[in-house]
Amino acid sequence: MPDDTKNLNTNLKRLSEITKWFDNQEEVDVEEGLKKVKEAVGLIKISKSRLKEIENEFEEIKKEIELDNDKQTSP
Amino acid sequence: MEDEVFTISEYIDLVNKGLEEFSVKIIGEVGKVDVGPSGHVYFSLRDEKDQSVINCIIWAGRYKMYGMKLEEGVKIIAYGCPSIYKASGKLSFLAETIQPAGEGELKKKYEELKVRLEREGIFAESEKRPIPNYVQRVGVITSKQGAVWSDFLSNVGKHGFKIKLIDSRVEGAEAILDLLSAIKMFKKQDIEVLVIMRGGGSFESLQAFNNELLVREVAGFPVPVIAAIGHDKDAPLISLAADREVSTPSIATVALNESWDRAALLIEKQERKIMSEYGQNLEDTINIINASAEVVKEYSDSVMHAYETIRHGLIVSMQNFKNQLINIGKNISISRQSIFSGFRNLALKTGQQLNNSEAVVFSNNPERHLKLGYSIAKLNDKIVKDIDNVSIGDVLNLIVSDGEIISEVKNINKINQNK
Repeated sequence: MPDDTKNLNTNLKRLSEITKWFDNQEEVDVEEGLKKVKEAVGLIKISKSRLKEIENEFEEIKKEIELDNDKQTSP
Repeated sequence: MEDEVFTISEYIDLVNKGLEEFSVKIIGEVGKVDVGPSGHVYFSLRDEKDQSVINCIIWAGRYKMYGMKLEEGVKIIAYGCPSIYKASGKLSFLAETIQPAGEGELKKKYEELKVRLEREGIFAESEKRPIPNYVQRVGVITSKQGAVWSDFLSNVGKHGFKIKLIDSRVEGAEAILDLLSAIKMFKKQDIEVLVIMRGGGSFESLQAFNNELLVREVAGFPVPVIAAIGHDKDAPLISLAADREVSTPSIATVALNESWDRAALLIEKQERKIMSEYGQNLEDTINIINASAEVVKEYSDSVMHAYETIRHGLIVSMQNFKNQLINIGKNISISRQSIFSGFRNLALKTGQQLNNSEAVVFSNNPERHLKLGYSIAKLNDKIVKDIDNVSIGDVLNLIVSDGEIISEVKNINKINQNK
């Protein structure tokens, strides 16, 4: 896997390309299709994990912001 | 005492002491007069009626004091007592005072002395000194016994006078000694004015006040002298020599009081003037203050108005600022919510995209199709998609989920798709 698999945006673009590839495939290329499936499965796994990380990070930031806000508004 | 032996001198002293009880006034005509080298005067007095004679002595000091010349044939009154003169053993009348006898004689002496002193300028108006204003230290010579002193005290004003009295006899020739002595004493004292007083009396009884020595003492006294000696026609020479002559003690007090009384009147007048001017000034000041207060009030009102305007503006500004802060807070909150929801949407969309990709990939996975029982037929490595691609007898490679099947085409049937 290349290093840029950590980048969610890049992964999404790649996945989009793969799905389009499947949609446009006139002849079934089992070998190539299998390769694409494997690549896509890997990307999906990494992306889901990364998305989870980002969501967790977001939740942390959100908590901090809400805590600061409570301190400022309390008497 | 009968057994006691005296020396002559002791005895004369004893007799002379006893003879002092015979102090009297005697009247007679002057006989032979003899003035000794020391100035003492030895003379005889003769009784007009029976020609009785008595030898008399008057000491030089006394003789000069009474200012009259003893001349044979002059009728005098002498006051004194008999005394034995030790040097001669003779009994003589020791005269303490002498004065002419009879009003005519006295008058004559009075007029002579008056003329002489007048010529000297003793009575000159130009020599009179004014009674100083606001005197306080006053010397008084009079008899403490008489009504004069109490009259003086009851009339003198309460102006803080410090009055000193020297009691003196004021009657007859004997008074001269007291009066001279009193004047000399006052010369040494710190006084501002001297008052010599005596009640009214006959010309003869006032003779002491015509004494030349006394008159000269009064004229030369260091501070002004007021003479208050009651008299009828002929003013005593002391009165003429004094700086101010008045007839009664109460008038003497007027002379002392007048500057004080004037001052009191002046003060009262000035007080009224001050009060009046002060009242006017006060009124003017009140008017100025009232006018100033009005100006200040107007200014104050305008300042208060300006202040209120500024205060109101400030409150509005503060409220605006507060609203801005609230809006900023709200905007921050909204932005935050937008960011949160935006991110959530983004995450959701991303998740959905991943899920879609997953579904597409899953549905397109060839392995999945093969496992479901589908197979891929290939002829010469080309996928057979319709019956036109094969002929009977062709050898096909059938790819299934777990391997490859080599098969031969036996028959070809076309499926009618319109069914």
